[in-house]
Amino acid sequence: MVRDMSEKILEVQSLKMHFPVKGGVVRKVRGYVYALDGVSFSMSPGETLGIVGESGCGKTTLGRTIISLYRPTDGTVTFRNRIISDMRQKDLLPLRRNFQMIFQDPYDSLNSRHTVRYILEEPFIIHGTGDRKEREKSIRSLLDMVGLPSGSLNRYPHEFSGGQRQRIGIARAIALRPELVICDEPVSALDVSIQSQILNLLMDLQNELNLTYLFISHDLTVVHHVSDRVAVMYLGRIVELADADTIYKSPAHPYTQALISAIPEPDPLSERERIVLQGTVPSPVNRPAGCFFHPRCPRAEKICREIYPEAANCTKGNIEHYAVCHFAKEENR
Amino acid sequence: MFRLNPLTLENLKRFRSLRRGYWSFIIMMLLIFLSLVAELFVNSRALVVRYDSKLYFPVYGAIIPGARFGLGYDYETDYRQLKKQLSGNSRGDFVIMPPIPYNPYETDFIDGSYPPFPPSIERRHFLGTDRTGRDIAARLIYGFRISIIFSLILLVFNYAIGISVGSLMGYLGGRFDLFFQRIIEIWNNIPYLYAIIIISSIIIPNFFSLLGIMIFFGWIGITWYMRTAVYSEREREYVLAAKAMGASTFRIIAKHIIPNTLSVIITFIPFAVAGGITALTALDYLGFGLAPPVPSWGQLLAEASQYNIAAPWIGISVITALVIVLSMVTFIGESVREAYDPKKFTTYE
Repeated sequence: MVRDMSEKILEVQSLKMHFPVKGGVVRKVRGYVYALDGVSFSMSPGETLGIVGESGCGKTTLGRTIISLYRPTDGTVTFRNRIISDMRQKDLLPLRRNFQMIFQDPYDSLNSRHTVRYILEEPFIIHGTGDRKEREKSIRSLLDMVGLPSGSLNRYPHEFSGGQRQRIGIARAIALRPELVICDEPVSALDVSIQSQILNLLMDLQNELNLTYLFISHDLTVVHHVSDRVAVMYLGRIVELADADTIYKSPAHPYTQALISAIPEPDPLSERERIVLQGTVPSPVNRPAGCFFHPRCPRAEKICREIYPEAANCTKGNIEHYAVCHFAKEENR
Repeated sequence: MFRLNPLTLENLKRFRSLRRGYWSFIIMMLLIFLSLVAELFVNSRALVVRYDSKLYFPVYGAIIPGARFGLGYDYETDYRQLKKQLSGNSRGDFVIMPPIPYNPYETDFIDGSYPPFPPSIERRHFLGTDRTGRDIAARLIYGFRISIIFSLILLVFNYAIGISVGSLMGYLGGRFDLFFQRIIEIWNNIPYLYAIIIISSIIIPNFFSLLGIMIFFGWIGITWYMRTAVYSEREREYVLAAKAMGASTFRIIAKHIIPNTLSVIITFIPFAVAGGITALTALDYLGFGLAPPVPSWGQLLAEASQYNIAAPWIGISVITALVIVLSMVTFIGESVREAYDPKKFTTYE
């Protein structure tokens, strides 16, 4: 299948999501959690974009804002050339079937009061597709696609293991044949032995249904395994964006370098240098001046404390690579 | 097809294992059922009359005039009198009366003395009569029927309003929540028995207007709990999943959130029923409830306090009945709460 790679399925432009922090008797706004603060990227159909970062960096908020669970403070989300971020829920409904989400915790994302049949049927009911018979057929084929026996239909979520539950969650997300699926840490709640099964299922489904994935995870190995491109987030902003291999082989941002160096190395004789970051992630309420990363950065200088860096274009050949660091260019020579 | 969720089944199983509450529930249901067909046990009409080789079943249906049985009058037959007349009859005619052959409204006087009359098996006043000569057992049973129906209807309406408003408060949050929070605080601070007493002194309440007034003040009880329960449910991922799917607010609340807050709702039901019975009894006791001559426990209590030692059978009957019914409802409530206690089990088994 020939794809027009210049065609964008999703465009996110300087997306901001600030949650007010309220306090006191009259619930006055005391400040904001800058969960997302100007995130921009775009995605081509069929690709997988990995989003990595520490907990609290805004990964989950990013996913939820894209599918309009939150209304962004500023910025736009454009899906197939239509701005969806300021649509009313009613107008958005017919578009919703095109982008869906797989949730992190399979123990929490399935309603324990509903049977698997109802959980999988609900998308069809909400979007008014098909009659009873057609739905039943679709539900059965969905179960088959995610590798669950058709006898599961009348059972309840608590009768399944974590991996099986996540399969149900995946089946629900792909029920309406979406183009874009946001995977919000789909495997991090699962045992390592189950993780690879679920990842393989996701990749098989991607080939079969031509899905586009926004894959959110804190696990760098997992992200490397599934992603075409990777974006690294820090305190609500993207600090580096490149294709998966580049970011793992020659990271340009000191934060990415530290993250990559923390991946356990299977070879005990390897003498890779481990960069240990000092301190913890600053609070997203009171962020440092200048570059947000400077208090922990091993090579911070005066300029880092004063000015937030521009995105430096480190693109080599046709491999796109951006890093938000004053020294990205020298670093990446 | 309707199928019970296994989690609900689990709760039911545990409820059944709590003997005291389970048996209280069975007995209570039996009592409610029996009180609904009380006409068969406590009635001034006969169960069966055989007259002129024809059978009559006067309990349900239109009144049968005395003339039909050869008693020269056109108003309703006095079956107790008819029974006496037919007993010496050789044609095989007979009258079978209910065990308590009085209805709760009729007065039964004994020549030469004043009611209340003490219990008498011979006269079939098993618990005696009140000060106007009405049978206490009959008034207790019909009074029970009225108060239990009253509190069940009250419960349904209070919960329908309270659950809707509470769920919306918890789910929507923001201004809607703030507005109703203040409303509820104001409502809460109106001493509602006083308010009902004031209203009752202006209009004489009947069953439905009293119900209306009580609903007006009673719906806030469950609202607060529902708000809190929904508040904690709405951030869970299954709700977000439904939202991402495009489910409407109504669908999310009705299909997703409320089924998950069932334990809150069910736990409060027995206590709400007990509360309804108590409130109605208290109002009747004070004379601001249902207008006489409607049979009610509150009025019996008032009489009991008036006659005290002079007619102890009034007080003993009504207080025993109150204590038994309220304790049984409380036992049910306790067991339901225990059966639904989330600490007793986990879904992560």
